[in-house]
Parts: sequence; structure tokens; C-alpha cells
Amino acid sequence: MSRTASADSTDARLDPGRYAAELAAWLEERPALLKEVGTPLPNGAERVEAVRSLMAELHADGWSRYGWPVECGGLGGSIMLRGAMWEVLSRYGLPCMAAFEHLEILAPTLAEYGSPEFAAAVLPEFLAGRELWAQGFSEPDAGSDLASLRTVAVPDGDGFRISGTKVWTSWARYATWCLVLARTGTPESRHRGLTAFVVDLRSPGVEVRTIRQANGTDELAEVFFDDVVVGPESVLGDIGGGWKIAMHILSHERGTYAWFRHCFLVQHLADALVLGGPHSDAALGNVVLDLAAVAAASYAGLRAHAASTPLGPMSAFTKLLLCAAEQATYDWILANDPEVAIGVQTDEVAVRRQEYLFSRIVTVYGGSQQMQLDTIAKQILRLP
Amino acid sequence: MTHSGSNDHDDYLAVAIQAIASSGATGALDELGWWELLDHLDDPDSRTAVFAVFRAQGAALADSAALGGIIAHPYLEEIGTPSASVVSTIARNHARLGMVHVVVGEPAGRHLLVDQPGLGAALIDPEQIEMRPIAVAGGMTLNELVIDSSTFVAAIPESVAAAARARSTRLGRIAIAAEILGAAERALEVAAGYAADRAQFGRPIGTFQAVRHLLAWGRTECVAVASVLATAVHLHTAAPANYDVVLKALAGRNGRHVCQRALQVLGGIGFTEEHDHHRFHSRTLALDGLLGSSAELTHQLGAQVRTAGELWSRGAMFGSAAPR
Repeated sequence: MSRTASADSTDARLDPGRYAAELAAWLEERPALLKEVGTPLPNGAERVEAVRSLMAELHADGWSRYGWPVECGGLGGSIMLRGAMWEVLSRYGLPCMAAFEHLEILAPTLAEYGSPEFAAAVLPEFLAGRELWAQGFSEPDAGSDLASLRTVAVPDGDGFRISGTKVWTSWARYATWCLVLARTGTPESRHRGLTAFVVDLRSPGVEVRTIRQANGTDELAEVFFDDVVVGPESVLGDIGGGWKIAMHILSHERGTYAWFRHCFLVQHLADALVLGGPHSDAALGNVVLDLAAVAAASYAGLRAHAASTPLGPMSAFTKLLLCAAEQATYDWILANDPEVAIGVQTDEVAVRRQEYLFSRIVTVYGGSQQMQLDTIAKQILRLP
Repeated sequence: MTHSGSNDHDDYLAVAIQAIASSGATGALDELGWWELLDHLDDPDSRTAVFAVFRAQGAALADSAALGGIIAHPYLEEIGTPSASVVSTIARNHARLGMVHVVVGEPAGRHLLVDQPGLGAALIDPEQIEMRPIAVAGGMTLNELVIDSSTFVAAIPESVAAAARARSTRLGRIAIAAEILGAAERALEVAAGYAADRAQFGRPIGTFQAVRHLLAWGRTECVAVASVLATAVHLHTAAPANYDVVLKALAGRNGRHVCQRALQVLGGIGFTEEHDHHRFHSRTLALDGLLGSSAELTHQLGAQVRTAGELWSRGAMFGSAAPR
């Protein structure tokens, strides 16, 4: 068996079923690697580091390059291969994607809207775990009403100077790069006056302050930009075209991402099944139905993406179904593992508690549940 | 209604809805060559067309012998009898009468296949047996028959029937789920239409967020069923074990939820005999009661998953080569 894959359209691994089987075989040969990444780690930094080391190995042997365009340093094939990769990894004990969630939320937009040189420069670094990404959308006064954001980018020579505050910026503490949505139009320009910038978080004038979350982890942060100078090459897409970029990212965050997240929920539930009993079977059956629904809807989302069909408002459904499944999964886990509520005796329970608490907030991030329902009412049901 | 691959589903659904509107459900089956399509379920397009008819029947509250036809088909394959000549009954454990067999739709001269696990399956001339009509609102013809086991003659021996049974149940559950989906989708459409027209406080009630969210949740519940249905039809025999249980339980559960949300939007008028809502609701309830209710199947699914220690064979979705 060849250890390193190559960019080749006749590559048999471009078939997702074949790819999944061969990746599983590769993992079977590395029990030590699996044991290491599967160890419950309540400490956020240690968890990110564990996933990062796995990503480095997957990149070195080519696995994580499938599903990405050859021009961006990938090995070609569709998003189905990425869907298969994370499904297999979840099944073999990887507990979460950690900071690599943005490979499936942000990176598709970088590949779609970035220049080939830019994408070829940043994507392999991300895939290999060397340079991670954060998403700078929300602000203290712009959450659900994203178009009211106030971070400004003022022209300066060839480039811009960015000033403002972002909040709930996921993975900023671990990231090298941040995709910043900033206002280049008038204060009243709403969504028409926004531009997406790629900002190096190591630049002078950037300050990242970690937010200690209620579940004890630290993926979210505040990011302050004080007259941060960026060059013209840092604009992603068109000037004034930031809303389109944001919508592309959100369609992944709400649509295809549901596939990736649900894989881990299935495994978390499978790991907790021993705690159940006949009394909780009906409730368990209902959780399985919720997981099956998000699996099928998000799989259809992957197929649509593979066929270059825009998800548009349909991604609101997958987002709602994912949230329902995530909360149902952790409701069942809490009911059958009371230690999650009472005390934290082991790393396993500590991580389970973090995940339970996180499942309470999933209806807020990526566009609140109420925003998704509004989208469906307006754009799908066409109510007055 | 799912993101993609759904185009086929939408196309076939539109054709089926049109055929039922112009010729009625029984006429539509002949017009669409539906009975012949049962011989080609291995072909994805034929499969999609076959199940689209059930979704269309649910939406139109139309009535035919199609359900018994698709359930009988695996048995007929085993013995080489033409598809259109027989419809199967569906066994139901009646709380008061014990095991009864239900015929859905008018058999219209076709023989009835009655499967008795352990004994094999009989082929019975409906003229030679007493059929007791059951009144179910929702435009569904239902007849009940009580089979006397002492005079039961198996035309299809147990060994042959056993080979067809699981396949038959699976197809029946997919068909029922599709019909529940059609009824639920239409019930929700009716409610959404009402919300756009009905004014209170000087504006359509569909402008109130509380009402909009009720309907949006209902749509989401329909999309959940449509997605699992499309996956079941797409994967066919490659679907994970139990996937028919998942689909049928989800359709029953969500179908009932959707009817409840639609009724809340309709208000009092939805609780009258005059309004169609109760027909969609009754159709959904009756269908949920056949081949395992959502309550039974959800419990059974939980027990199976817990004792197996595994949800389902998750690689299945990637097993069937490239996406269509």
C-alpha cells in the first residue's frame, strides 16, 4: 500500500467509500496514535494540541488533502471525501475537530474566493496544523444583526487601517489568521458597505483576550483592532463584497458543517450507551431519530455542495436539525450519567460536562435559532 | 425537498400529483405504469417514481391499493406471479380483537395475500371472505378481516414467505412514511396559506413571529422526514439495517407534530369537520398505526441501539460509490 498519496485523477481514493476504507486501515495500523488523540482532555490547549498533531500526520500522509482543489495544495475530489475523513476519524476515537472546525466553516470560502496563490499559501499550512484561522464577525453591538457591525477599514495608501472590536471570535487564541468583516462604506451602508479582510493576528495593534466560558473552555475571544495596517492583498473577494463572503461562510457553518459535527455526536452517544437501561430506551430512540434526520439532511447538503448547488436558505434546516440533535443527545447523556451534573471526578466526565454545557448554547452561535426560523418563514414559506 | 438529488424526487412527485389530479389514484397507477415499475426497484429512477406516488397520495388524500401492492411484491417475486394481480393485507395487533388483517384501498378484484408468520402466506379471493369496513376520516378505504387459523391454507409455504417478509416490511414502511410526509406537507401548506390570509389585529396572522415560527418548525420537521426518505430510497438495499424503522418512526412522530402545529395556526376552524385539516391528521394517525407505530418503533429502536452498543453502520452513506 502506498503511504503517500499523489495528485492523480485516476487515484482510486477519489471514491469516498474506497477512501474511507483505506483511511480506516491506515488508522488500524496506528493504535498508539488513536489512543493518544482519543484520551479525554479537559484542558482546551491540550486538546487543540492533540488534534493538531493528528492533523500534521494526516497531512504528511496525504489524507487531509483529499477533497481540496489541486491548485490549493489538495489532491482533488469533492467535499464527500472530507465528509468521509471526519466520519472515520470520529469513529476511531477522535473526540472533536477543535480549532479545525474552521476547515469546514471558513476554509471552503478561502478556496472559493481567494486568489490561487493565496489559497495555495494558506490552505496547506492550515491543513498541516501550522497556522490556524479565526472568524471575526460578531461585535458587541452586532450579533444577530450582523449588518450593523461597526469595525471600520479606512483606505490608507494601497491598503487599509482597521479599527474596532470583535467578540465571540472562535479559536482566536490559537489562530494565526483572522477573517475580519469590516465596514468600508458609510455607517448607514448596512450589508452593502462591508468587506472581508485577512488579518495576521501577529500584526501590531491586534490584541486577543480569551473569554473564560461557562463550560470551562476557551475557544472564544475578544479581538481588538487598533489602527491595524493591512495591504491590498488582504482583501478577500471584492471591496464592498463582504456580505457575500459572510453568507458563503454561514451557509457552510449552518449547512455542511452539520455533517461534521453530527459524526462526533453519534460517537459521543455511542460511548455513553453503556450507561442506559430499558427505562431510557424510548428516549434513546428519539435521539437516534434526531441524529438520523441531521445525518440525512446534512449528507444531502454535502452532495449539493459537491454538485456546486448553492445551499442558500436550505442550510437553515440543517442548522436547526443539528441543534435539536445536539441538545437531544446531551439531554439523554445527562439523564443517564448524573455525574455530569453533580461533580467532575474523571477527565471523561469533565469533557462530557463541557460538551453538555456547550450543547445548551448551540442554538445561539452561527445565527440564532430564531434567525433560522425567520429565514425559513420568509424565504421558504414566503409568509407575508 | 432535500438539497439535491431532490430534483428527481420533485420531478416524479409533480408527475404523480398531476396524474392523481386528472385520473384519481387508482387510474394514476395504470397511467404511470406503476405496477410494472415494481419489477424494477433496483433502478433508482423507478424506485423514486414508485415512492413519489405515495407522497402524492398523502398530499391529495387519494386512495388506492398501492400500499398492499408494494407489500405483496416481494412474495410475488419469489413465486413468479404478475405484480398487479395481488395486494397484501397488513397484520395489526388489535387491542380487543387480537390479530386482525387490514386491507388498504379497494382491492378491485385482486386476490389478497395474507401472511401468517410460521404458517406461510395464503392467497384469498376477496369475494370469498367477509371484509368489515372501518370508517377512517382522511379519504382512506380500510377493511378489516379476521382470519381463521384453523382453515388457513398457505399457498406460499413458510420457507418462501420468510424469504420475502423483511423486504416486504421494509418497502411497506418506506411507502407509508412517504404518504405521511405528503399528508403532513399538505396540512402545513394549508395552514401557511391560512396564515397569509387570515387577519387579526389588522394584519395577517402570518406576520406575527410566534405564528411564523410554528410554521417554520413544521417545515423543518417535514424536511427531516424528506431527507431520511430520500436517503432510504437512494441507498435502497445498501441502507443501514433498521433504516426502515428509523424512517417510519420519524415520519409518524414528525407527521403528528406537524399536524399539531398546523392546527394551532388554524385555530378553531381546523377543529371542524368542514375544514380539511382533520382529514390530513386522521390519515397521518391511521398510517402511523400500520407496520409499527412511531411509539412502538422508537422504543424498539432505542432498545436495539442500546443492546448493540452502536447506532448504525455509519460508513454506509459513503459505501455506495460517488454521489449522484
